[in-house]
Amino acid sequence: MSLADVIRRRRAREFVLGLLFLLPSLTIFAVFFFYSVYRLVYLGLHQQNRYGTAERYVGFSQYADVLTGEEFRDGLRISATYVLYTVPIGLVLGVLLAVAANRQLRGIKFFQTVFASTVATSVAVASVVFFVLVNPQVGYFGDVRFISLSHTDSALRGVALSSIWQNLGLTFIIVLAGLQAIPDEVNEAATLDGYGPVRRFFRVTLPLISPTLLFLAVVLVVFAFQAFAQIDILTGGGPAGATETLVYKIFHHQQPLEQGTGAVMAIGLFAVTLLVTMVQFKLLERRVHYGF
Amino acid sequence: MSSVVFEGVTKRFGELVAVDDLTLTVDDSEFMVLLGPSGCGKTTVLRLVAGLERSTAGTLRIGNRVVDDLEAKDRNVAMVFQSYALYPHMTVARNIESPLIARKFIVDGGAPRKLSRSERRERVAEAARILGLGDLLDRKPAALSGGQRQRVALARAIVSRPTVFLMDEPLSNLDAKLRAQTRLELVDLHRRLNTTFIYVTHDQVEAMTMATRIAVMDAGRLQQVGAPQDLYERPANLFVARFIGSPPMNVIEATIGSAEGDPYIDAAEAGRIAVGATVALGQTVPAAGTRVMAGIRPEHLQIAGPGSSAEVQLPTDAGIVATIVAVEWLGHERHVICDAAGTLMTVRESSANRAPAVGERVVLAADPSQVHLFDPVTGERLP
Repeated sequence: MSLADVIRRRRAREFVLGLLFLLPSLTIFAVFFFYSVYRLVYLGLHQQNRYGTAERYVGFSQYADVLTGEEFRDGLRISATYVLYTVPIGLVLGVLLAVAANRQLRGIKFFQTVFASTVATSVAVASVVFFVLVNPQVGYFGDVRFISLSHTDSALRGVALSSIWQNLGLTFIIVLAGLQAIPDEVNEAATLDGYGPVRRFFRVTLPLISPTLLFLAVVLVVFAFQAFAQIDILTGGGPAGATETLVYKIFHHQQPLEQGTGAVMAIGLFAVTLLVTMVQFKLLERRVHYGF
Repeated sequence: MSSVVFEGVTKRFGELVAVDDLTLTVDDSEFMVLLGPSGCGKTTVLRLVAGLERSTAGTLRIGNRVVDDLEAKDRNVAMVFQSYALYPHMTVARNIESPLIARKFIVDGGAPRKLSRSERRERVAEAARILGLGDLLDRKPAALSGGQRQRVALARAIVSRPTVFLMDEPLSNLDAKLRAQTRLELVDLHRRLNTTFIYVTHDQVEAMTMATRIAVMDAGRLQQVGAPQDLYERPANLFVARFIGSPPMNVIEATIGSAEGDPYIDAAEAGRIAVGATVALGQTVPAAGTRVMAGIRPEHLQIAGPGSSAEVQLPTDAGIVATIVAVEWLGHERHVICDAAGTLMTVRESSANRAPAVGERVVLAADPSQVHLFDPVTGERLP
């Protein structure tokens, strides 16, 4: 047996061993992700009858119809608006809170815990809390027009408020961790350089936590595109479909007759999310500084 | 160019007294090294001067100005941090320029004002030239070697033309060879800038080689201030005696004895050292019976010959009897570590001598004019 053979055999053995190590995660991915995606693509290529007992291959025409249709465009518009309402405000608030809480003060841990606590709150609980706050009939702020759930032009803002609050804990924790990773000496050097708090924040702190902010921006955009429970609980998609985001619409295409449409929309949402994330990375990465 | 004067400066962190009643004058254009073991308060002293900490008590003056209530940026001091603290997201040029952007400067005796862009560029170029960074101005710190980063930190410090330079162990992140080279560069920089330097280190070699004066600190208290040679030749107490010098001074417990009017240092079972009426640099030998701590530098001990205590004739044949425990060969010299009745003593000798063997019994002879005497209770040098 030549040396080449030995190496080849060893490589083959290592490949098998590697597969074995990967098997647990591959299994989970296969069951919960690969199969689902495959099933989604499959459903998108077929139309079913009213009872789901028979199906017909319709090919990519269903994709073309749905993705260019008004319903998909409408859902995407509402989803995108929801992203714009929740992500920038959520990020800014999270950074402000983290900067405020990132100091050596007696009892600061208490405030850090309070600010982080929304992480431990489920979407359902958060939605119920905001239901009590902004519900048009019983809410304390039910008559504040800007976030009124009973008007088509403001209902999405009311729902966004709940998401912003809900995600604030996560943003706070991650930004705080980012701030604490900045060496004290760098901040002290900035103090000696005569930077006041504002200049120091924009010239030193912000650039140094930019990788953290990029990560958060991506995560929050994905969260916003996927928001469902808060809409379902607070508005049920209303009034007059004003809060029917793409995910909400997809969820309401469960009848066998409509499953094909729902599947295509889901694939569409996946593609949009992927695209937006990639663009975010491309755009922001040039302005992000890694490493100390 | 300014002097820095501490008058009874104390800094407490809760219960901990980091700096205890420090009174010290750093002269204008002096290279003062604060030397001490870690946790002795030397870095806190530096941070007090920088304005990064506020003192609990006492007065601090830079030049003729009391600066206790002055903000860091208004003190016109620059600091080089141990980790360099460069801004990782800025180029070398922007790092160096950084102290010039927000602060106001007096140009040609006029009122303080911000520098124009071209003035800033000029100063950056000058600082870069002094430190040989011309080719690196567009790089980010991550693309630099440790020595280059250190020079950028120095350039950032000199660019604002401070009256006082503060350096917190700036060489500790460099390898040994680069450290030796940078020591020379720092001394040269001090000579060229002719500005007050306050330099913190725990490394006595750095202190001895660069300082015009050294201030030795321990447990928040100033132990002794003086030129390197003074500290070495006339340590004020046992702490300084043991801290300065490598290998450290040998210290042995003893009692002053007297034989026919000639005093000697009686180290009990270890042996004795005959001395005249005065020992090192004019110390008077106290009356017979006084308990002392006797200090002898390794280079002032020599192996007089093999022997046992029985052979030692007193007082003329006085010597310390010891067993060799280890021999460290360093090329040009040798450190022979001996056990003298339970006290370890080091002899520094030329490698040209006959190599002693571990386990050998020897008699050590001390140069009587080079013996230091300390009070065994207070540790202070005897008069």
